[in-house]
Amino acid sequence: MFESVGRGTARALDEVGFAASLFGQSAFWFALGSRRRQPVRAGTIFAQMVQIGSGALPIATLLSATIGIMLAIQSIETLRLFGAESFAYIGIGLSITREFSPLIMGILLAGRSGSAIAARLSTMTINQEVDALRVIGISPVRFLVAPSLIAMLLVLPALTMWANLVGLGAAGLFVSASLDLSFAAFVTDTIRILTANDLLQGLGKSFLFALLIVLIGVVNGASVKGGAEGVGAATTRAVVQGIAAIIVTDMIFALLIAL
Amino acid sequence: MSTAIARHRQAHTAGEPVIEVSGLHAHYGQRQILFGVDLIVKRGEILVIMGGSGSGKSTLLRHLVGLEQPTAGTIKLLGQDLHDLPPLEAMALRRQMGVAFQGGALFSSLSVAENIKLPLREHVRLDEKTMDIMARLKLEVVNLAGFGDLMPSELSGGMLKRAAVARAIVMDPKLVFFDEPSAGLDPVVSSALDNLILRLREAMGITIVVVTHEVESAFKIADRIAILDQGRVLAVDSVKAIRSSRNQRIQNLLNRVAEEEQIEPAEYLRRLTGTPATPDHASI
Repeated sequence: MFESVGRGTARALDEVGFAASLFGQSAFWFALGSRRRQPVRAGTIFAQMVQIGSGALPIATLLSATIGIMLAIQSIETLRLFGAESFAYIGIGLSITREFSPLIMGILLAGRSGSAIAARLSTMTINQEVDALRVIGISPVRFLVAPSLIAMLLVLPALTMWANLVGLGAAGLFVSASLDLSFAAFVTDTIRILTANDLLQGLGKSFLFALLIVLIGVVNGASVKGGAEGVGAATTRAVVQGIAAIIVTDMIFALLIAL
Repeated sequence: MSTAIARHRQAHTAGEPVIEVSGLHAHYGQRQILFGVDLIVKRGEILVIMGGSGSGKSTLLRHLVGLEQPTAGTIKLLGQDLHDLPPLEAMALRRQMGVAFQGGALFSSLSVAENIKLPLREHVRLDEKTMDIMARLKLEVVNLAGFGDLMPSELSGGMLKRAAVARAIVMDPKLVFFDEPSAGLDPVVSSALDNLILRLREAMGITIVVVTHEVESAFKIADRIAILDQGRVLAVDSVKAIRSSRNQRIQNLLNRVAEEEQIEPAEYLRRLTGTPATPDHASI
């Protein structure tokens, strides 16, 4: 048993090292690729952004509206115990911007795009497409990883901002309807208590989550073993690890901020 | 074989070395795959590397094209060691070689023509029109004219391999590697691919290294055959010499594979479907 634990640990460390090197290489190609006549192409980044973002938009909207309403229901319910339901906007505003938007959007993209990255990369590895790239003299990191990484780093924070807007809007509608307040009052109250810091906290997290999603997807995709079953296993691992990493990181982030 | 072609081959095999492998040791993890391989490929020749499964021939190929780093020993392509070169020069060397992978390894997200244009797009500055023309020319060379707009998933196995050849030669390389060109193809298509390999050498003077386990195809295209066995080079010699070799291991290799190929069609069908090839009329 000790042996399998040891091997698992060694493998995990290996993967973390691999992820770090992928990140370093992506940064390298992004910064210096054009000097080596191997630029990270804007067109590829844009195509990736469209793929990650536009498809996720409807479900992202639905989820953030749902979360907003859910939070509004719970906040009003709990605060009613103290007769303080008119302060519901405080809890709603802070938890949506700091926690729920980045978390839910992160989990959504880990499921949607993290899996897609792992599936694509593992299929390409099995079909020797990655070998073909290297033989042609194209760095696979520059050609496949860097565009996805940059696209994700741009799209996830943008989606998080969108989720803030939709979530707060939906919560506002529910609060104003059930407490007989005007929507405008909810908006002014929320703007008054929200600081730039709250938004930045959420955005900072979404950057971190974007990094985790892509690197975990790529590490699992690139270390695929076997044929078609390997692709399935790599994809599953990417999603499970991605979501777990996001939730754990979120907790650590909250702890560090609180300290 | 006509004497003209024989003389042509003679002239080619007299060329200077294009690939020099010396003392190549290779490992996958803990397992040693290659044990001190020495090999020379001369300019303009077609060298076929043969061996059974597990002989290390795929590993040798991966080292030759620079996908793996040797544990020990050196590999010189066109006089240069790929692993010792600074990035830009390594890139220049890569431009002079092409690889046709076993399953084609075309990028599934790009059309056939875009696949062929990719090396051009990455390595040289050309306008779109010139690249189109070059892609079309290479597609004609491999008899795939008019298929450029299709996606790789729309091509058959043989067409995929030919498209991969077009991509491998688009930069007009001096050196082209083939990984199992006949694998998974029927005899007619496989023979057409053999002819294509011969034509590339005749028309473009490319030095060609082919890894295969198909005896018939090896005899047809090779100037010289290198037999790999358990990670060591057993022999490197002309087709004639290899054929008449008294070495038992070489004969085993040649005969075993030959036997597999000479199955009667009916027998082949029976093995394929697991049913008798001759229908049992009594049961109808």
